[in-house]
Amino acid sequence: MIEHELTVTNQLGLHARATARLVQLLSGYGCSATLAAKGREVNAKSIMGVMLLAAGRGTKVLLRVDGEDEQACADAVAALFERGFDENP
Amino acid sequence: MRRLLQGQGASRGNALGRAWVRLPDVLEVGEEHIEPGQVEAELERLHLAIERVRAEMQSLRERLQGALPPELGQFLDLHALLLDDPELLQGLDEAIRGQLLSADYALHLQRERITAGFRAMDDAYFRSRVEDIDQVIGRIHASLHARHDGRTGMAGEVLACESVAPAELAQLQQRGVVAVVTSAGSPLSHSAILARSLHLPMVVGVPGLLQRVADGEVLTVDGGTGEVVVEPGPADLRHHRERRRATARELRALRRLRREPTRTRDGSTIELQANAESPADIARAHALGASGIGLYRTEFLFLQRTALPGEEEQFQAYRDAVLAMNGRVVTIRILDLGADKADRTGLSLRDESNPALGLRGIRLAMARPDVLEVQLRAMLRASAYGRLRVLVPMVSERGQVLHVRAELARLAAALRAEGHGVAANVPLGAMIEVPAAALMLPTFLGDVDFLSVGTNDLVQYLLASDRDNEALGELGSPLHPAVLRVLRDVIRTAAAAGKPVSVCGEMAGDPRLSPLLLALGLEQFSMHPATLLDVRQVVRACDLMHLRARLPALLRARDRSGIERWIARHHPPLGEG
Repeated sequence: MIEHELTVTNQLGLHARATARLVQLLSGYGCSATLAAKGREVNAKSIMGVMLLAAGRGTKVLLRVDGEDEQACADAVAALFERGFDENP
Repeated sequence: MRRLLQGQGASRGNALGRAWVRLPDVLEVGEEHIEPGQVEAELERLHLAIERVRAEMQSLRERLQGALPPELGQFLDLHALLLDDPELLQGLDEAIRGQLLSADYALHLQRERITAGFRAMDDAYFRSRVEDIDQVIGRIHASLHARHDGRTGMAGEVLACESVAPAELAQLQQRGVVAVVTSAGSPLSHSAILARSLHLPMVVGVPGLLQRVADGEVLTVDGGTGEVVVEPGPADLRHHRERRRATARELRALRRLRREPTRTRDGSTIELQANAESPADIARAHALGASGIGLYRTEFLFLQRTALPGEEEQFQAYRDAVLAMNGRVVTIRILDLGADKADRTGLSLRDESNPALGLRGIRLAMARPDVLEVQLRAMLRASAYGRLRVLVPMVSERGQVLHVRAELARLAAALRAEGHGVAANVPLGAMIEVPAAALMLPTFLGDVDFLSVGTNDLVQYLLASDRDNEALGELGSPLHPAVLRVLRDVIRTAAAAGKPVSVCGEMAGDPRLSPLLLALGLEQFSMHPATLLDVRQVVRACDLMHLRARLPALLRARDRSGIERWIARHHPPLGEG
């Protein structure tokens, strides 16, 4: 299992479009993935779950991935967060 | 007794019909239990309902292909993802299997749980997203219930409800529902945008609607003014008939325009071509009397699949387009995939930090010579069947045009040697969307046969304004003096060299901007088929000489409001046809 702390840097936070990108990215990996913030943990492969986190800009979230391709998955998610979900600032 | 209800007009048009009052589904579900033996059947019923909703969304997408504003397409994708959401599906599975609840009640509980979570949020933007989730669950719910009460709308009914999901609108219209009135919602909602695309009259935000209208009462709906009259009197009915007649007259005038040439009042012929991104668009373009296809986007062949399309498949698609246009020009654009498009063929890079400025258009094509070769071979073979032109996207330097030209010559010779027919002359054009290409047009103008200005990207690059970033607001508006200056220069330089130039961005399809583009010297427009007749109507009312004489005043405008004033002053009065 890998844990990785990430910060939401994009303008609108983990809103619908960003969440859809995250979920689409994760659907390519077999490992399980959760995101935790503000004292709750949700299935990162669920749009509803991730949107319920209401993680706005600047929120710190903890990614937990567990499974065979966990390293590749954690790297890809970290890269997506770093790019601000490809929204231009 | 007659009652006047006032809402906000969301989609123009007038309708008269019986009210079908639909109360929100949630109100109707009580706690229902099932026997252990029924679990599998209940799950099956739920999954069938979900599949029906998925099919509904799919058919909506297909019906509206190309006519959908991009943000609406993204949002339909989001809804499709929600249907597969593990959180939702597992929750339902547990409630049915573990707690022996009916599918309806399980769905009701999930909806309550999720919406409660959203309502507790501090952030208004996040809180409002509950609408998407609520609509998807509502659709599944309605699909489950369709079996029980069968009440899904009848011809001549006006649906009165709290809110309506976009995927439902197209279906309602097919069943003959003549208008939709809602108590919630806004004219800016996705449903309202869609209603306008479907020409389905819609009024939103009528306070207390569901308490003030009873099932079966007669309503008149004016989607322009937002007025809804319950149990209309003779005067209301007369007014309604007048409005209907006026609308029908406008429509007839537009239809007559299908067969009319696009000529300005002072007799200059303007070419209106269509943009197409599917075979259906080509058929529509032909039916509307487009003078050609100014931009055939080939991405549809590459998206939503895992393997690249082969030469034969592409050849057939291009040949069919050329045949369908029956001797009129068809401009086929080389694949313009970027990292922002969700292709699954592995062609574009997934991890670019800035897809708009990344490996896309001709850059990607040159990085993947195998893909370019297959596409150019297919286009050359199709050129034997009509007037085909090749368009190169994202040109930023001369070498890219020279490369494609050399490839075309090499592949044409090879194809002829293999015994294929290839047209003697396949014109090659460059898209002008990178500011550098616009500035340095004279350096490669001699190497191309025509130009096509993609104003959407040109404006975004010129103004450094991401067009998907709503926070930028008017900063991305094409009505900027810099945009007009570049357009004027490109049109003038091309004209002096005798090279045809068209504009194929959204500007070309906005009838409000037609006089402005005519003043700038544009003679070829290419636009989505949906707006072709509107633009033709405006062009036919314009006086070209007069507009061109007013160009200096347009170029003197120092900001957007100055340009807006010019536009307001020069909009021609529209007669009937």
